Amino acid sequence: MSISLLLIPLALVLLAAAVGAFFWAVDNDQFEDLDTVGTAALDLDPPVAEPPQADSD
Amino acid sequence: MNQAAAHLHWQSGAGLEQSEFFAEGMHCANCARSIRTRVGALPGVQKVDVNLTTTRVSVAWDPLVQRLGAVLEEIQRLGFKPVPLSGAAAEAARRSERRGMQKRIGLAGLVAMQMSMYTVGLYAGALSGIDPWIAQLLRVTSMLLAVPVLFYSGSPFLRGAWHDLRRRSLGMDVPVAAALLLAFAASVINTWRGQGQVYFDSVAMFVFFLLLGRYVEMNVRRGSLDAGEALARSLPARVTRLLAHGGNEKVALEQVQAGDRLLVARGAVVPVDGVLAEGFALVDESLITGESLPVTRGAGATLPGGAINLGAPCTLVARHGARESTLANMVALIERSQSERPPQALAADRAASHFVLWIVILAAVVTCAWLIVDPARAFEATLAVLVVTCPCALSLATPVALAAATTRLARQGVLITRASALERLAAIDTVVLDKTGTLTEQRMQLGAAEYLGNAAPEQLLAIAASLEQHSTHPLATAFTCASSARVPVERVSELSGQGLEGEIAGTRWRIGRQDYVAQLAGAGPPGAAAPDDERVWLGSGAGYAAAFEIIDSLRPEAAAGAQRLRLLGLDLIIASGDRQATVQGIARALGIAEAHGRLDPQAKLALIRTVQQRGHKVLMVGDGINDGPVLAAADVSGAMGSGAAIAHAAADMLLMNESLGTVGTAVEVARGAARLVAANLRWALIYNLCAVPLAALGLVPPWLAAVGMSASSLYVVWRAHRFARSPV
Repeated sequence: MSISLLLIPLALVLLAAAVGAFFWAVDNDQFEDLDTVGTAALDLDPPVAEPPQADSD
Repeated sequence: MNQAAAHLHWQSGAGLEQSEFFAEGMHCANCARSIRTRVGALPGVQKVDVNLTTTRVSVAWDPLVQRLGAVLEEIQRLGFKPVPLSGAAAEAARRSERRGMQKRIGLAGLVAMQMSMYTVGLYAGALSGIDPWIAQLLRVTSMLLAVPVLFYSGSPFLRGAWHDLRRRSLGMDVPVAAALLLAFAASVINTWRGQGQVYFDSVAMFVFFLLLGRYVEMNVRRGSLDAGEALARSLPARVTRLLAHGGNEKVALEQVQAGDRLLVARGAVVPVDGVLAEGFALVDESLITGESLPVTRGAGATLPGGAINLGAPCTLVARHGARESTLANMVALIERSQSERPPQALAADRAASHFVLWIVILAAVVTCAWLIVDPARAFEATLAVLVVTCPCALSLATPVALAAATTRLARQGVLITRASALERLAAIDTVVLDKTGTLTEQRMQLGAAEYLGNAAPEQLLAIAASLEQHSTHPLATAFTCASSARVPVERVSELSGQGLEGEIAGTRWRIGRQDYVAQLAGAGPPGAAAPDDERVWLGSGAGYAAAFEIIDSLRPEAAAGAQRLRLLGLDLIIASGDRQATVQGIARALGIAEAHGRLDPQAKLALIRTVQQRGHKVLMVGDGINDGPVLAAADVSGAMGSGAAIAHAAADMLLMNESLGTVGTAVEVARGAARLVAANLRWALIYNLCAVPLAALGLVPPWLAAVGMSASSLYVVWRAHRFARSPV
């Protein structure tokens, strides 16, 4: 059962990653609009082309 | 960049500028898509985000290539009205609150999942044998995980309980916090001792489910606040201010100060309440007063913010800043109703508070009893009692149901402005209608016409229609629809709010108010002593030619609306200030038995008192002007339209959409809410009556108690949510 010593901390790391990912998602507006994106797949028009990167970045 | 506009416009990191605004008129995925593609195709635009739910558009562009004006023009060309975010700061605060809540829930949920695995290990180990050090490892890990859940995710409960205790009241956070802290402390002690039960998973699960309930409740509540915001959006973002030395400048609405001279273009919304500086203005004040007919205002008259200028451009002297304007008042009213707690909810809170006291006493009794019977299980049973009997379901039942009803009504164009209105609305059995405008088309039609000259009626009608086709006045459609014949008109001029003048076959004709036509046709119209403002006059240099009566026909859905009210078991009474004949005609057409015309406010008041003395509960629907005492006398009052008058009147709700069917909807939803409250309370009571004895007998382990308690309050919230979303 010594493997627990490795697996439990590993699980904690994964948990921390999951929490981190969730917090990132919240901070990046992933949960702000759950309606519009749902219909995006039905969008017949081609998506707006990514504008050429301005050199001023 | 001025401060007001800074809310919606800022420099973003990469040399881009960013702006956020509402696109009014967006209501489908298609609209959102067209904005995204068309604005995104503009040169220099780097990013376009469109939120269909909130109609919020966010654009980032390169200031070297593109201007904000062009972006806004493009959106206008697409048929939407770009409107700045009102109270962007408040919205930002709400957003950060929502995000904080989401993070708390996410953390608690993820940790609860992880911890339940450790708990399974501990339980399985207790049954089949486990190395003591592994058990200890699981306990310590759980403890470490429980710390952020309790003190970060659970902080709203701890803080709430702390505030409750400081105010010396027992809110529903108190037993929650007590149970959380007790469970945590006992588990820490057991971890320290290296033996015994730990309840860290119960803590995490408990926090998770409770937060979830709060989050749903918060969202349901917010829905109707947005309705107030939509109202505030009908005001323009920028206004044209005239400078003292001539010329003008565009300024943000928030910058308008009392005394500013503002230019209101034709078709534009009057931005703030103000005094007309000169000339005449023809305005549609229907949004403010519910008055269906456009009104003419002379110099010195007050125009309410939110009115629409239908005539020529006019100059307005602002009476005060945007914050004190009529529409701002309305939004404040709605917000007040949201912050007020309805008496029902207050009663539930008090009951819950007593309930908490009894629970604490019961928990103490249970502890003592178990200490005598079986000391080893005393703690577990106490914890179960504290957790399982959470009064949340009891305390939540009323507010969530009422919030749900408010949201649903807001979507139907009914704004509840007093928290207690719904409760009273559910009990009414009589509707007194003040405003006949509710029942009529409000689309003008030509009624009886009196022809005074020798000319053929068809010819005069053609002349009137030809003149009126040059007008944007709503009355003009009555003429243009009545006759298809046209004659050529030259040199047409319109005097706002007065009438039109034009030359037909060399003769000058005027159509409009009598005194306006009189300047051409000569004074003293045949057979009338006082100026007759009820009719539209047509005349030329040769004298008066005709007088037209403009009528309003009955709305097709009015009959259905009246029928609906009857089906709801409501008596309908018309009490109007209009002419008796008009009122009787409408009443007959709708099958309404009781109709009173020519009533002044005192008579209306007396009528309501009489009906109430007969034992009826009365809903009075008025237009909010000059009928404050009448509205106040009724058991519940609704005001059609909206506005300044309403802010001072006693209306409990605003009916934004002036149709009779809306009244039926409001009553139906209020009754539904009352049923929901009763059902929720019944459920909470039954749940508690079943759960408490079981927990006290030690039959409910703490984790199950947490699930049961959370499930019971989630069930209550879910039902309310379903109610808010259900179609009418």
